[in-house]
Amino acid sequence: MSLLELADVSRSFGGNRAVDRVSFDMSDRVLAVVGPNGAGKTTLLNLIAGQLRPSRGSIRFRGREISRLAPWRIVGLGMVKTYQIVRPFRSLTVEENLSLFARLRGKAEVGEILQETGLREVRGQLAGALPFGLLKRLELAKGLASRPELLLLDEPIGGLSREEAQGLVGTLEALKSHGVGMVVVEHRLSEILPIVDRVVALDQGRLIFHGTREGFFEDPSVRAAYLGGRDAGG
Amino acid sequence: MPPDRGRSGLGVRRIVRRLASPVYLAALVAIVGFAYLGQGDPMSYFALSLVIASIYITLALAWDLSSGMTGYLNFGLPFFFGLGAFTTGYFSWQDHVRSQPLLAIASLAVGLLAGFLFAFPTLRLRGPYFSLLSILLPLIATDVVLSYWTQLHMPTQGYYSIPLLGPTSAAELIVLSAVNALLLTGFFLLRDSHFGLVLRGIRDDEEALSAQGVRTFPYKLVVFTLASGAAGYAGAMYAMVISFAGPDTFQFTFLIFPILIVILGGTGEIAGSVLAGYVVMLLYSYFLQAFTELTFIVFTGAAILLVLFLPGGILRPLRSFIQFMRTPEPP
Repeated sequence: MSLLELADVSRSFGGNRAVDRVSFDMSDRVLAVVGPNGAGKTTLLNLIAGQLRPSRGSIRFRGREISRLAPWRIVGLGMVKTYQIVRPFRSLTVEENLSLFARLRGKAEVGEILQETGLREVRGQLAGALPFGLLKRLELAKGLASRPELLLLDEPIGGLSREEAQGLVGTLEALKSHGVGMVVVEHRLSEILPIVDRVVALDQGRLIFHGTREGFFEDPSVRAAYLGGRDAGG
Repeated sequence: MPPDRGRSGLGVRRIVRRLASPVYLAALVAIVGFAYLGQGDPMSYFALSLVIASIYITLALAWDLSSGMTGYLNFGLPFFFGLGAFTTGYFSWQDHVRSQPLLAIASLAVGLLAGFLFAFPTLRLRGPYFSLLSILLPLIATDVVLSYWTQLHMPTQGYYSIPLLGPTSAAELIVLSAVNALLLTGFFLLRDSHFGLVLRGIRDDEEALSAQGVRTFPYKLVVFTLASGAAGYAGAMYAMVISFAGPDTFQFTFLIFPILIVILGGTGEIAGSVLAGYVVMLLYSYFLQAFTELTFIVFTGAAILLVLFLPGGILRPLRSFIQFMRTPEPP
């Protein structure tokens, strides 16, 4: 059974169709969702997480229809989304930020998550006082605190320096080896690519590619979308 | 170095430390001292002020627990206060209940029930929409109560001859302070629990909290119901202190002092409300004697100055001072 299946999913805002009849399934551990600005990547992630409802189509997580469920119910099933623009609970400590979610699906070991994400040293600090690099890690740690089977990561290394990004990708790789699935929306594809199994590419809301990372760079539709002209790939 | 807030969670040592916090003890000592002094003139006026302050502290604690901790501004608290006073008046008048604990429990129960009925639909809204409903619904309910006041065979002016809470102001002060100490302990335990953590999370970013898996509605429902119950209890205490409950007890002014107390005590700083409650009410009583007609103008000016110069509440500079005194001098 696929971890995640999307069938004919669309979402419109007024006359603008942000996601247009997208279908794919995810059987591997890490799926990257890529595309130019405005391609519909974040909207797609929000649809999967239950923060938006699709205008049509079906979304299944481990065989169960989730497109009409509230986000908190979806988290209860084992899928959680982290934010592109970090949203820490600023008046709480780092450890308290994690404790909020540690009882949602069994009891998560907050200490272990702090260790895994490199936040152990700052566990007692107020989240509002952390530098950006650590806030990005905290965003990931908050997601992990509910012990998800599938993490939806919206630009997890966006805004980080090359060194910070390498460190975070290393953490994601470790999570992958522990069996955590991930759907990653990311512009800095080359840095995230080593841990990616498959790629989904969107352009103007439509799916233009779904396949391996090797095939991604060879695909003419992808090259056209990134290079501009419709015939660029041809 | 950013402040280190330490670990959250319950523990016996943590509870004991909370209960023995200097502010808590100082407040208790002040209460007992005034209660003792307040038995004779001329201190009885101030003893009565302290009695009223204790009631406002209960209301302030209720407001801080619900609105201060969650960030939902609830302007409906005076309605539950009035309802508590009304319940006490009704039962002591119609059913001739003379037992103060029974009257207090009845008002608490009515406050809890009405609070639940109010919170269930309104807490589905957020921000200014919730605040607006929290003003409108109680206003409509108050209007209904007052419109049917005489039809419900209630005395036109209100209920009088309500049994007094205690034989003297000092005795009343001790009862009220003891209950406030219990409430304070309960609030501390709640704040330091996982429940309190979720409330603080709601205040910081409720959308992110629910998007990442926490269903916030039940937490808000419980805390607003509890706060309404506490307001109902406070209303009963007020009715028993002045031996009267009339339409005036539904007034909106019963929210002004509690909010001022919470702001001065520091929002979410539950212990600060106790200290601020006595400061505000003693100051107000003093101004009433000193400035008579100009009281409210002078008092408002003083309140503005206090809020301007102590924006984080009165406990913050006190803590900074204690921390400064504890910091060892460099060699």
